[in-house]
Parts: sequence; C-alpha cells; structure tokens
Amino acid sequence: MSASTVPTAPRARRRPPASRGRARRFTHVGFVAALPFLAPALAAYIVFVVGPMIESVRLSFFEWSGFQGAPQEFVGLKNYVRIFTQDPVFWTALTNTVIWVVLSLVIPVALGLVMALALNRPLFGRNAFRSLFYIPGVLAPIAIANMWRWMYNPNFGVGVTLAEFFNAPWIADIQWLGDKNIALYSIFAAFVWQIAGTNMVLFLAGLQSVVPEHVEAAKLDGANAWQVFRNVTLPALRPVTVVVVVLTIINSIKVFDLIVGMTGGGPAQSTQVLALWSFTQSFGNHEYGMGNAIATVLLVITLIIVVPYMVWTARQEKNS
Amino acid sequence: MRAGRKSVALVAGAAVVVGLAGCSAGGSADGKTQITWFKLTETAETANEAIAQIVSDFESENPDIDVVVEERAVDAHKDALRTTLGTSGAPDIFFSWAGPGLGGEFIEVGASLDLEKYYEEFGWADRFSEATLETVTQYGQYDGVPYTQRGEALFYNKDLFAKAGVDAVPTTYDELVAAAEKLKAAGITPIQFGGTVNWHVMRLLDSILETKCGSDGYQALVTHEASWADEECVTETFTEFEKWTSEYLNPGFISINNDESSALFYSGEAAMALEGDWFNQVIRDNGMDESTVGLMPFPTGTGRLYGFNENNYISSNSENPDAAAAFLDYLTSEDAQKTFIAAFGSQSVNVNVQAEGGSELDQAWTPIFENATGIYMNNDQNLSLAETTEYWRIQNLVATGELDPADAGSEFQKFLDQQ
Repeated sequence: MSASTVPTAPRARRRPPASRGRARRFTHVGFVAALPFLAPALAAYIVFVVGPMIESVRLSFFEWSGFQGAPQEFVGLKNYVRIFTQDPVFWTALTNTVIWVVLSLVIPVALGLVMALALNRPLFGRNAFRSLFYIPGVLAPIAIANMWRWMYNPNFGVGVTLAEFFNAPWIADIQWLGDKNIALYSIFAAFVWQIAGTNMVLFLAGLQSVVPEHVEAAKLDGANAWQVFRNVTLPALRPVTVVVVVLTIINSIKVFDLIVGMTGGGPAQSTQVLALWSFTQSFGNHEYGMGNAIATVLLVITLIIVVPYMVWTARQEKNS
Repeated sequence: MRAGRKSVALVAGAAVVVGLAGCSAGGSADGKTQITWFKLTETAETANEAIAQIVSDFESENPDIDVVVEERAVDAHKDALRTTLGTSGAPDIFFSWAGPGLGGEFIEVGASLDLEKYYEEFGWADRFSEATLETVTQYGQYDGVPYTQRGEALFYNKDLFAKAGVDAVPTTYDELVAAAEKLKAAGITPIQFGGTVNWHVMRLLDSILETKCGSDGYQALVTHEASWADEECVTETFTEFEKWTSEYLNPGFISINNDESSALFYSGEAAMALEGDWFNQVIRDNGMDESTVGLMPFPTGTGRLYGFNENNYISSNSENPDAAAAFLDYLTSEDAQKTFIAAFGSQSVNVNVQAEGGSELDQAWTPIFENATGIYMNNDQNLSLAETTEYWRIQNLVATGELDPADAGSEFQKFLDQQ
C-alpha cells in the first residue's frame, strides 16, 4: 500500500506549466471578483484595526498629552527607556500579566475540558448543567466584577458568613482584595468562573468530532479510559484546543475590565496588568507616549506567543 | 426600482444632514440657542435637584436659551473632557477643579476661553472673593467662573464620642490621636475611609502632612521646592499615617470604596469621617440624624483649612459664549446661590450671599471658614496626574505595611526627579 501511494501523492499535486498559469489567472480573476464583497470589510479592518495599530506604535515614539491641538514631540525610544528603567509599576504589571496568562492556560482550560468531558456523557439534567456553567460567560465582565467585589467585601461578604458558619473568625479577617499577596488571585478566581464555561462549550463542540467507531475500536484493542482519552479523544480535540488556547492567551493578555471593576489595579498597583497600565498612563496620567509604548510591548508579547503556537499547530495538523 | 433606491438615498442623506446640523449648529429646532454644560453628578440627590431647579429658573427668565446638562461620575467626566475639549464635540461650559494639577492641564492646552470681557460686562470681579478669583487668574488670563469653595473637616458622631469617654472635642493632633485610642479601646472604629478610590485615604495623609510639616513645609513640598527625601517631617508624616491605617481605620478599608466606608458612619459603626461641606446634605439624604453629628477642623495646628475650589469654564471654541456667560452669571447670582448653597455646602462663591438659617451642622461651617488662615489643597490637585498616581501608590504601600515609612519620602522623590 505504501509503495503505491507514496510516489503518487506528489505527482497528483504537480500541475503542468499551462495549468499553473491558468490557476494563477483564475486566482487573480477570483480575487478581482471577490473584491467588491471583501472591500467593505477590508476597508473597515484597515480603518478601525490596522490604522489604530500603526498609529499606536507611532505614538509610542512621541510625547503627547492626548489633547486635540497639543503638540506631539518626537522623543525616539525615550518612552521605552522610561517604562523599562524608570516606571515603578511596569515590571509589576508585566509580571502579573505573565502570571495571569500561565494560570489561564492551566486552570480554566483544564476545568473547561473536565466539565465538557463530564457533560458529554448521558447524564440527568445535562443541558441544565451546560447552561448553568455557560451563563457567566455571557455576563458583562464589569457586572461580574461587581458581584465578586460584593462577595469579597470585608464587612458583609462571603468571608463573614463563612466565618460565622464555621466559627472561624480568621476567615472574616482575610482581605481578599486588600492583601497585596492574594488580591490578584482573588480576581483570577472570578476570571475562572467567567471563562471556564465558555471553554467547556468549545470543548463540547470539539467532542462531537470524536468518531465513536474509533473509541469502540480502541476499547476492543484493550485500551483503558486514559488511553482512549490520550490517543483518540485528545488528538480529535486538537483543532478546538488551538482555538481555546489562542483565545485564552489573547483574553488573558488583555484582561482589563475585571481588574478595573474589582481593584482598579490596587492596592498600591499590586494587581496592575499591562493592558490596564497602558490605559492608566494614556487616559489617567495623560502620558499617551508611555501608554502606547506599553501597548506596543503588549502587542509584541502577544505576537511572540500566539504566532509561533499557531504555526506549530498548523504544522502538527499538516503532519497528521 | 431605481426610483425606490433614489428615494431611500435621499431620505438617508437628509437624515444625515439633519443629524449633523443638530450636532453642530448649537441651536435647537425651535430657534433657541442651545448651550451644553458638562458637570459632575452630585453625590447628594438633593444637590442634583437644586441644579435642575436653577437651570429651569434660568430658562424661564431666558426663553431663547436652552441649557442641556450632561452629568457624569468623576472619572467619566474627566474622560469626557479629555476626549472632547478642543474638538467640535466640546461643551459650551465645562466644570473642572481649579487646582494646577487637576484642572490646570485643560487650561494649559487652550481649552478655556479668556473671560475678561464678561468679567467687565457682568462686574464679576466684585462678585467673587479674592481667594476664589485667584483660582481664575492663576493661569494668566480669566479662566472660568467660580463654582464652589470647598472646605473639608472631621465629622464626628457625638454619641460614639460620649460612649468612648471622649469628653472634649480634640483641638490638637495629640488630642485627636488620644480620642482615636479611646474609641478603639471602646470597640468603635475611630474613622472610616474607602481605599479603592485612592483620593479618600489621601485626605488623611495630606492632613497629617500639613500637621507635621507646617503650612510652609507643605507648600514647599507640593511645589517641589523642597525634597521629599530630605525633610524629616515627611518620614514623621508617613509614620503617623501608618499608625492610623493599621490601628484606627475600618478593617479592610483598602478594598472598599468611599460610599461603602461612609455607610459605616451613617450606621454609627465608625465615629469619624474626613469629608467636605457637601457631606452635610449627604448625611441628611442617607437618613442619619444630623443632631448626633459634630464638626471640627482637622487639628493641624497651622490654622489653614483643608479645601479646594471648583470652577465652570467656557470652552475656547464655544459657538455661544454670550449665552454661556449669561448662564454662569445667573448661576452665581444671589438668587441662584441661595438655592445652591442650601443643597451644596456651606459657602457661596458670591460674597453677597451668606449662609443663613440651616441646621446646627450647616451653621458649624461658618466659624470654620471664618477662622481659617488659608487653605491647604488636596494633593491630587497640587500634583500632576502622573505624580498623583505615584503618590497614591506610595500612600497605599505604607498603608498596607509594604513600605517602611522611612523610605516613603525618598521613593516619591525618586519618581519626581525622573519627571
């Protein structure tokens, strides 16, 4: 079998020169034909995405207060030097962003997968559970922030109730959002609550692509549950895993609203992240150059993480 | 079909033109001149009602002018000003704080119209006190019309003071600390603050700074004439501040906001609140029995009162500056100011309007203002925005025990030196 298929595959892909020329013409003609349909979206994309992105990078080399009419002074790399060597908050924000991304790739992704596997089985109330876990994903993050801030309130929050219930006063003394060492993780708990259900839905969709015959065949070959999951289910989930991982990285790198709503970056900037610090420098401190330099760093980090991962997964996909 | 398309295009085009006309002409459909006023949403609902009444009265007297009031919360208001001033979307009148740090930047970028002409026309120079006029002329021209003159002081719960055995109102800083100690010993939270809005706790830090550094020292520090790293009083300030935040404030203050912490005062769980003269009305609106509330200046020992000014400015690109000036003239007139200070605080910017009547608490402000030898301003108004952000970071590091008070001054000075 292999002797006959291996040589034929490249031959099948090869086209005679005339045919390749035709294909190019067709592609060209196809592009021209598609242009009127693509144009509005392309124009909007260039105006509202590419343009601001370029403008943001440009502004990172200027000093500007952000006001209409105020002068923009070219300062070269000064803003970058300032954020890396003088800004007392930048490194905290960068560290917190990295912590947030790493935790996001582990906890809500794993939790979403586990919930999807559990709710993919025939189970009483399965749809109700699916809806229940998905609901936080459709709520506005700022509403979630308010709910969790209320729960963490040191005067009447859940800590007070738990302290009374367990007769353990120390629980009431925990400053969920006021303790520099735990505040970031307290907000992260709300993030997990918000996003795990969305991951679950994506994994559930992916699980529909697992061919039951393959599972049956693996079981007949004597594979245990873990081996079936490792060798059949997980490979089938690869495309959806790419989506989940990329979305998680992007969502976690630009996390903003939950932190604004729960701590505003405090106490003492200890829960600050790059996206919020970029906003604060631009809109709070009127340092648009600094703010855009931070945004550019954020863009570079995102590209460094996401692009190689997508290239790698595309190769994996091709090889398999 | 083609005719149909043309009709749709015409209707759509007409709609766009009408819409644009409505946006830019500054006039309403009935031929009236329309002026827009961007202002803060007031904390007390009664104050919002008072403003609505003043606007309504003005429109009755000036039937050719419509005043469109757009109110926003503090941060949203700042954002709105940043994004609209200097553009065609700018309001005719905008509210802003008068300090060089918070407000001055709008003037520096040319967003405010020089009102010298209107000061002469309406005789405003005689209407306002010297102190409020200084906030108008401090940038070299006539920027803005005085709106409020705010004082801040300690509100205290008389019942809780009595319960803790605090028999006399503290008149010195040491007596204030002793009172806080007694309250704490009695199981009462001495003073409430909400830490998520950094400016609330900042009031305590500013007041201790005035106490420990004196009025000259305070001014030298906030104008960068003195080094925060070298002045011993700065270390003393942060040391005292750490003591207050660790012992006398409501537990968990750093993770709640000012509204949440103020609820502790209304409910009698906290004995003191460091608030402004607007708080009289807020107390009433929140159902607290104001006869149980007393008032004393923070005992800094310098004689200066903690406070700040707020002004209303006319945008430099306003298309209706005359109508805007007419409204500001009415807003600061004797008639309107009587309505205004009944809901807004204790002092009118109009020198001819004195606080009369009112409750005992309202009247308590008069001697405080009269006896003040000057004003020490909130530091988020003295310092630039970036400096304020860093001042708050250091304040909160000390408040949460993350930074040694002895290092706080040098940490702040390091930031100032890099600016």
